[in-house]
Amino acid sequence: MTDTTINTVKMDVDEAAIDEGLYSRQLYVLGHEAMKKMAASNILIVGLQGLGAEIAKNVCLAGVKSVTLYDPEPVTIQDLSTQYFLRESDIGQSRAEATFPRLAELNVYVPVRVLKGTPGQEISVDLIQGFQAVVLCGASYNKQLEINDWTHANGVHFIATETRGLFGSIFTDFGPKFTCVDPTGEQPLSGIITSVNKDHEGLVTCIDETFHGLEDGNFVTFTEVQGMEELNGCKPRKVTVKGPYTFEIGDTSNLGDYIRGGIFTQVKMPKIIEFKSLRESLASPEFFITDFAKFERPAALHAGFQALSQFKAQFGRLPRPRNPEDAKTVLALAQKIDADADEKTVTELAYQATGDIAPIAAVIGGFVAQEVLKACSAKFHPMVQHLYFDSLESLPSTTPAEQDCQPIGSRYDGQIAVFGKTFQDKVANHRQFLVGAGAIGCEMLKNWSMMGLATGPNGIIHVTDLDTIEKSNLNRQFLFRAKDLGKFKSEVAAAAVAEMNPALKGRIVCKQEPVGQGTESVFNDDFFAGIDGVTNALDNVAARLYMDQRCILYEKPLLESGTMGTKGNMQVVVPHLTESYASSQDPPEKQTLSCTVKNFPNAITHTIEWSRQEFDAMFVKPIESVNQYLSEPNYLENSLKYSGQQHDHVEQIVSYLVTNKPLTFEECIVWARLQFEEKFNNTIRQLLHSLPKDSLTSTGQPFWSGPKRAPDPLVFNSNDSTHLSFIIAAANLHAFNYGLRGETDPIIFKKVADAVIVPEFSPRSGVKIQVNENEPVAQSSADPDDISELVKRLPSPSSLAGYRLTPVEFEKDDDTNHHIDFITAASNLRAMNYTIPIADRHATKQIAGKIIPAIATTTALVVGLVNLELYKIIDGKNTIEEYKNGFINLALPFFGFSEPIAAKKNKYCGIDWTLWDRIEFKNDPTLKEFIAWFKSTHNLDVSMVSQGVSMLWSPFIGKQKSEQRLPMKFSKLVEFVSKKPIPPHTSHLLVEILVSDEEGEDVEVPFILIRI
Amino acid sequence: MSLTPATMRRLMRELTELRSSPPEGIRVVTNEDNMLDVTGIIEGPEGTPYAGGYFKVRFKFSEEFPAAPPKCWFATKIFHPNVSNAGEICVNTLKKDWKSTYGIGHILVTVKCLLIYPNPESALDEEAGKLLLEDYDSYCSRAKLITSVHATPRTRPPEFEAPASPEASTSSIADAPAISLPPQPITLPVPPSSPRKSTSPSPSQPLQESTSNTLTTSLSSSSVSGKDGKDRVTPLGTADSNVSSTANTSTAAVTAATKAVKRSAAPGTGLEKRKKALKRL
Repeated sequence: MTDTTINTVKMDVDEAAIDEGLYSRQLYVLGHEAMKKMAASNILIVGLQGLGAEIAKNVCLAGVKSVTLYDPEPVTIQDLSTQYFLRESDIGQSRAEATFPRLAELNVYVPVRVLKGTPGQEISVDLIQGFQAVVLCGASYNKQLEINDWTHANGVHFIATETRGLFGSIFTDFGPKFTCVDPTGEQPLSGIITSVNKDHEGLVTCIDETFHGLEDGNFVTFTEVQGMEELNGCKPRKVTVKGPYTFEIGDTSNLGDYIRGGIFTQVKMPKIIEFKSLRESLASPEFFITDFAKFERPAALHAGFQALSQFKAQFGRLPRPRNPEDAKTVLALAQKIDADADEKTVTELAYQATGDIAPIAAVIGGFVAQEVLKACSAKFHPMVQHLYFDSLESLPSTTPAEQDCQPIGSRYDGQIAVFGKTFQDKVANHRQFLVGAGAIGCEMLKNWSMMGLATGPNGIIHVTDLDTIEKSNLNRQFLFRAKDLGKFKSEVAAAAVAEMNPALKGRIVCKQEPVGQGTESVFNDDFFAGIDGVTNALDNVAARLYMDQRCILYEKPLLESGTMGTKGNMQVVVPHLTESYASSQDPPEKQTLSCTVKNFPNAITHTIEWSRQEFDAMFVKPIESVNQYLSEPNYLENSLKYSGQQHDHVEQIVSYLVTNKPLTFEECIVWARLQFEEKFNNTIRQLLHSLPKDSLTSTGQPFWSGPKRAPDPLVFNSNDSTHLSFIIAAANLHAFNYGLRGETDPIIFKKVADAVIVPEFSPRSGVKIQVNENEPVAQSSADPDDISELVKRLPSPSSLAGYRLTPVEFEKDDDTNHHIDFITAASNLRAMNYTIPIADRHATKQIAGKIIPAIATTTALVVGLVNLELYKIIDGKNTIEEYKNGFINLALPFFGFSEPIAAKKNKYCGIDWTLWDRIEFKNDPTLKEFIAWFKSTHNLDVSMVSQGVSMLWSPFIGKQKSEQRLPMKFSKLVEFVSKKPIPPHTSHLLVEILVSDEEGEDVEVPFILIRI
Repeated sequence: MSLTPATMRRLMRELTELRSSPPEGIRVVTNEDNMLDVTGIIEGPEGTPYAGGYFKVRFKFSEEFPAAPPKCWFATKIFHPNVSNAGEICVNTLKKDWKSTYGIGHILVTVKCLLIYPNPESALDEEAGKLLLEDYDSYCSRAKLITSVHATPRTRPPEFEAPASPEASTSSIADAPAISLPPQPITLPVPPSSPRKSTSPSPSQPLQESTSNTLTTSLSSSSVSGKDGKDRVTPLGTADSNVSSTANTSTAAVTAATKAVKRSAAPGTGLEKRKKALKRL
């Protein structure tokens, strides 16, 4: 099944100009095409407080032709609430000028300019000439209208945005006729078909392995159809879905008769979007809903934001924090615009009008930056047309008093205006553990430094990350610069945010320890006693699951988030309230059948998977076996016992260590040439020998049909660049294994490869049954004589003392190591065997390297959402309705929020419990005492006891063992069964049991904590 | 490597069940100091060229289990179209059709099913696939030979000898009724109408019926085992001789076993044997 289609991208001069090393992860989100368009766009950002800076940062990182800043107003202390490019020493300077140097160093490919102005001078039409997109941040509605009237008429993309406390607003106008080339950003669907009816509504049926996944209104074209050949390469036909395996494609009655075969491929059709001007849109707004639970709010905020603008025009200032009088005035203005405007919403907006908080700037700034990229690239669907966002539920449960919210001349005034000084102190004395300092980690620390988290006398931030900084990180991990390459992420990130907010100096503890069982002496009881919560900023499921378990054990709240391309999610886990991360996991990606990979590939993903396996089978595993043979005493005897593959294994060691060991690089080329023959010619001929092209299945159908594509052997041709690139990569990797110097001059490879005499292939015959002593033999019945014959050919390890081969360690991001070159060449050669469209190096690298596409905009937004939940955790909210989990997709765009799922309630012996409960034993009881306790306390019979992966006790161990173990204390029992000492720092053991009641019914009980 | 407590509990429970009432012809060997080191043993089903053999299937669990399937491979050499030389198994259950509710027992039953109904169309061993398609007799004799050389021990594996847990006197589970898993549908990798041109008599006679891909199976139907597999003539022999040896297990299990025996009481041709082998899965 072709589930992923890789577009073969032809390289041209412009594309070569894109720095793939830097933009690697983002290219997998946007593609070369979109990035080229972005590289032609000049962006103007007006208003450089926190929101404008966030947008500018994301746009600079993404890569556009230029970013120009306009904000001649002087920096105030309040700007420091959210504007992380400004320092206290900048106060009084022009915001744009002060921002410029720190923004300009983010991306060497994006020149940043400052548009001059004088304080008090507002942006005007004459200043915005020559830009493809203009973003107004916090401008008055009158100013927005003036600018938009001109941009709408002149083909310039326009965005106006503003944040007030926990509220945000966005308006987009990309012109009366905007063409969006890819409204979803998803890979075009593709699939194998089995029939097409000849009808006025031609019905297409797909193979019943996978759903076709199409939707009504999608367009498709076809290839490889036999019979109804008119469909091949036809103009895109509109789809009407009939079922998961069927769809109609309109009239096929005058086409040929379908015989067999065929692949449908979705064709992305451009979508024209007609934007209204702001003037028009204000009167009849189209709202983009961010939270369906707040369906009423957009209308109220539509009026409210306009009312705020009028208030400011009228009084020359914004409403004072939580001032009822000002709020009343704003409400009156709002209800003049919309008589139904909700009082509570508008009042709260007025209360928070001077509020300026980092998480909201991150959410709105991340979103707007993506809209800017959409405007420039036409990639993904723009937001139409008004977005109003709020996170009112982040407010403390005890509403702050008016007095508590007044500005105190501090950098936190923007946050104090919303939450009050009392709450600010709580934030300052909060203690968090941040696990990971990558993309999410950097954004997290940025938010925290602006929020003043852990800046108080009791506050502390622990951050750990074992990684060092690599080039591809610089595209979105914005705390890192080129000069930091190779340094530890946690240290550089901590230093960068301590510079943003000097109050953090000495409040961040950096570590390079991965979280896991191996570091429980570091992240121990005392460590967890010293933190209030954990924030995950991880890139793998295993570590997430581990931290989840630790948070359950220590009863700490956990903030979890992740991104993939334009999609992001965040989950809040609160002890004794919500379920945990592990409670509902996404199913992992479905795996491909091994026979599909080995014999019947039909998509480039299959050939890439094959190629990745060959990489290990040629350059890693045999090398490791050789080294084990050389270094481990009795390796052959010990480790081969269970494999069932002794013969092959020993034969391989003989081959790599004796028969095929190269002494010169030339021999590596010869080896590579013979590998080519083996992989792309002999193997295919052998397969066709066993299953000829005219084979029939049990039902008399051609065997090679549907998802099975009949292969053809390749004949080596040194003039074919793919053939030669395989030889070059394979020879160099083989040379690496043996410590020989590599070579890249194609002429040498051609010469040597062409001179290789390739042995004639003759197929093994499967009909003749030959089981002699050379047949591989398994387990106890292994024929020792046979293996020992082979072993005799091996030099003794002692004769090669100190000699080792060098296994290749797969590294996808080094363009000179031949790894991705090999995988690309091998995958494409195999694709040629099976006439599957080939994929370029870039596309191959993503699949082989399992690279998760990433872009700064999504990360910024998701981390903003996480911190809106962190406010709630700091406040100690204890009802589930007050928390939110979120899912976003910036491409569509889409926001989805849901209440976290409550921890499942269980019951044993009349006692309610959830995953957060445990049964605790002190003083290291004996197994006997332990079992007796369950019997006497709950009348439960223990039937199995385990700790970690050790089965400590079960009915199956027998009477003798049982009697031996029952008197043991748990600590001793664990050491006894696991045959490993308990590490000295261990203070407790986590034990799982199976118990049943009097009737023999299984009873679920909480986990068991045994203090030792 | 660690699995979540809930997953460990689930594994503990399943391993207990597989020990106390394993599916017929299937046993599980575990390792005390590492419960995740699981090996299944499948008795070659009667009426197949694998009869008389005992095939080890090894498991490897990742952190993502049970959301992701465990890795699973033959550690005993076998000649079978869907098993590669390295022991890899090509079966949908272990890949795209995996469901997080599946367990070790389900996988082993599915693999056992695959021994009865090999699928030449998803061949990992194309030689075996070719033979199965073109020359069933040759396929059979080669598979038999490999079975006899590599998979047939001199004595029956001890796991198949004694009923489970006779000596755990302190345990309550010995008194408890056998725990039965809910019946789970098993998706066969192929329509079982196999493509045999062979005209030879049983046991290689092709099946004609059963176009359905789905079997319903109960994993708890028997906890029985024979004293000596080599003495058996038909599957019936095994079942008969085993009724008496189940005295130590629960009444429920005995009843189930008796029923299974009754269902397959009539002596049969190879065709019927195969059908029965399938039924009793």
